[in-house]
Order: sequence, then C-alpha cells, then structure tokens
Amino acid sequence: MSTRDLVLTALFAAIIVALGLLPPISLGFIPVPITAQSLGVMMAGVVLGARRGAIAVLIVLLLVAIGLPVLSGGRGGLAIFASPTAGFLVGWIFGAFVTGYLSERLVDDKQSGLVQTVSFFLAAMIGGIVVLYAFGITYLAAVAGLGFTKAFVGSMAFIPGDVIKAVVAALLGRAVMAGYPLLPARA
Amino acid sequence: MQSLYVEGNSRMHRLSPRAKLLSLAAFAILLFMSHNLLLLSGAVLVTAALYGKIGLPLGEALRRLRPILLAITVVGLFNLIFNPWQAALVPVLRLTALMLLAASVTGTTSITEFIDEVTALARPLERTGRVRADDIGLALGLVLRFVPEIVNRYQAIREAHTARGLKVGPTSLLAPLIILTLKDADNVAAAIDARRIRRHGS
Repeated sequence: MSTRDLVLTALFAAIIVALGLLPPISLGFIPVPITAQSLGVMMAGVVLGARRGAIAVLIVLLLVAIGLPVLSGGRGGLAIFASPTAGFLVGWIFGAFVTGYLSERLVDDKQSGLVQTVSFFLAAMIGGIVVLYAFGITYLAAVAGLGFTKAFVGSMAFIPGDVIKAVVAALLGRAVMAGYPLLPARA
Repeated sequence: MQSLYVEGNSRMHRLSPRAKLLSLAAFAILLFMSHNLLLLSGAVLVTAALYGKIGLPLGEALRRLRPILLAITVVGLFNLIFNPWQAALVPVLRLTALMLLAASVTGTTSITEFIDEVTALARPLERTGRVRADDIGLALGLVLRFVPEIVNRYQAIREAHTARGLKVGPTSLLAPLIILTLKDADNVAAAIDARRIRRHGS
C-alpha cells in the first residue's frame, strides 16, 4: 500500500467518524438524519473504490474495537460487537468493498453525469443495502434466535432510509468524480 | 476524543490484553453453546460483578451500555411475539453477559495496549507482503489527528453556505468536505515520506 493510499483511507475513516459527531442535516421532507454512518460506508465505496473503501471502514471498526467512542451517539468499545445488530457492522466492510468494486466497474470519466450518478446509485444499493443486509440479517437471525424470515421482516423498516442514503451517496460519488477523481480509470 | 479506558489498578487492569481478548473469545463460544437459563443467568451475574469492579461510577457504567441494552431488549421483545419466553430469554442473557465482559475488557485496556496487541497480531501477516504491521498504528493516529480538523472544516463550509444564502443540504456540504479533505492526502503523504516515518516508504 502506497503512503498516499494509507493516508487516503485514514482521512476517509476520519470523515466517517466525523459524520457521527456532526449535527444531523435533515434531508428536506424526510426526517432521516445524515449522521447515520452507513452513508459513510456507501461513500467510502463510491469515492475510494473497493480495496481502499473497505480498508477505510475497517479502520473505523478497529477504532471501535480498541475502545474509542467513534460511532454515532458516542458508542464504542468491544461491547458494541455483542449487540444483536453487530452483523451490520461487520457487513460494513463487505458493503463498502462491493460498492467500490461495482463503482470501479460501472463508472468511468467519459460517461455523462447522469449515467455516472445512476451507476453509483446501483453500486450503493447493491453494496450498501443488499450485501450489508445479507450480513446483518443472517447474524441477527442466528444470534437472536429469530429465524431468517422474522429477522428479514424486522429489518425492512430501515430500508427506505437507506435508499435515500444511496441517492445521496450517488450524488456525492458523482460530485467527487467531477471534482477530484480517485477511482482507478478502467484500462 | 475521550477513550473508554478507565484508569485503575484492578485485577482486570493488570491482566495482559492478549489474555483478556482470548478469554473474551472463549467466553463467547461457551455462551453460544449453552441453552441453560440458570447457567446463562449466572454468567450475567458474574460478568455484571466484574464490570462493576472496573471503577466506573454506576450512572456512567449504565450510560455506556444503554444503546446496546436497548437493542438487545428490542430484539428480545420481538422474539417474545413468536417464541415461548424461555426461548426468547436465552439470546437476551447470552448477549447481555457477552456485552458486560466485552465492556470490562474495553474499560481496563488502554488504547496503547490495544494498538500494541493489534500490531503484534498483524506481524505474521507481513510475510504475505500486503500488510505492514506498523502502518496500523500510523493509520489510527492519522484518523484521530484529522477528526477535529474535519469537524471544523464542515462548520466553516456550513457557515460559508449560510452567509451566501445557499441551501444547506447533504450533497452541497459533504461534496466540498470530501474533496477538500482528500486533497490534503498528497501533502500528508509527502510529509510522512519526507520524514521517513514509514521505514521503507513506497
């Protein structure tokens, strides 16, 4: 890993941590605060790509594990991983990776802005929702003794908010792509 | 940012971080093997006593665990709709005991001890050529150094938007925040290499 990649991932991890400290911004008519750090996970993928995005998220989880209150609401410490929703935390790493992988594949700088935004949206939906929930729901089903179907139904309440976050992540991915592209250009 | 470490000199404090982490892992496995309510209740009592001894005032000790306890309770209640109470209680007791022991490990292990332990664990991975163990400490240090900077920058961007009468939305604030922050990366990387902080910087 080059020093620049190391610094990029650390700075992005710092952005994700900062997202948990900032006062919430409301998304217009829908009361979803953007402090939710799952937006940071999608952002890591669309901005940094698969490998660096996943490492940025891994650094955040490492900070949680060593006892720093870096998750929103000042949560932190190993006890977080004893929560029935810990599968979602671990899923962050894979969610960021898949979002990044799809972004690298689907988006290049010769496309129009709309195509880029839509591609980023798809990447964020698949990585940040499908993959993330696959981990979160499976763990919830196994650990809480709920069974898969009930864990699935119980988690659906959070999907609308996450779809909005995927839209925001797509717009941000496109904006950063235009202003300071970091995704490796396709060969 | 205040670490969750609690100053003190209890028996838990003096135990090596590795021993604590290994016990936590072993304890987790044992908890998930047992379905016995009596045994699991015992585990909750023992871990609660342990957590009580790490030197936190009661209010703070409870405040720290409130969000996790809430999640465990919600899942437990949801479980109660579909399952008999015995079956619903098992995961609640398991996770509570695990949470209490994990919180005790966090409270009695300093950040430095943790970073040393993580670095030591990553050392064998160096042979794969993909990881450099010392980079972990560097990366964690960089994050802690930059979080306040990013929060300040966010406030500056927000004020600039308000002063110009611009609409303040997530993309209008976060896009410049991300771009400005990542543009710093080149300078920081150059400074790290110039000072030879990574012994063989590539």
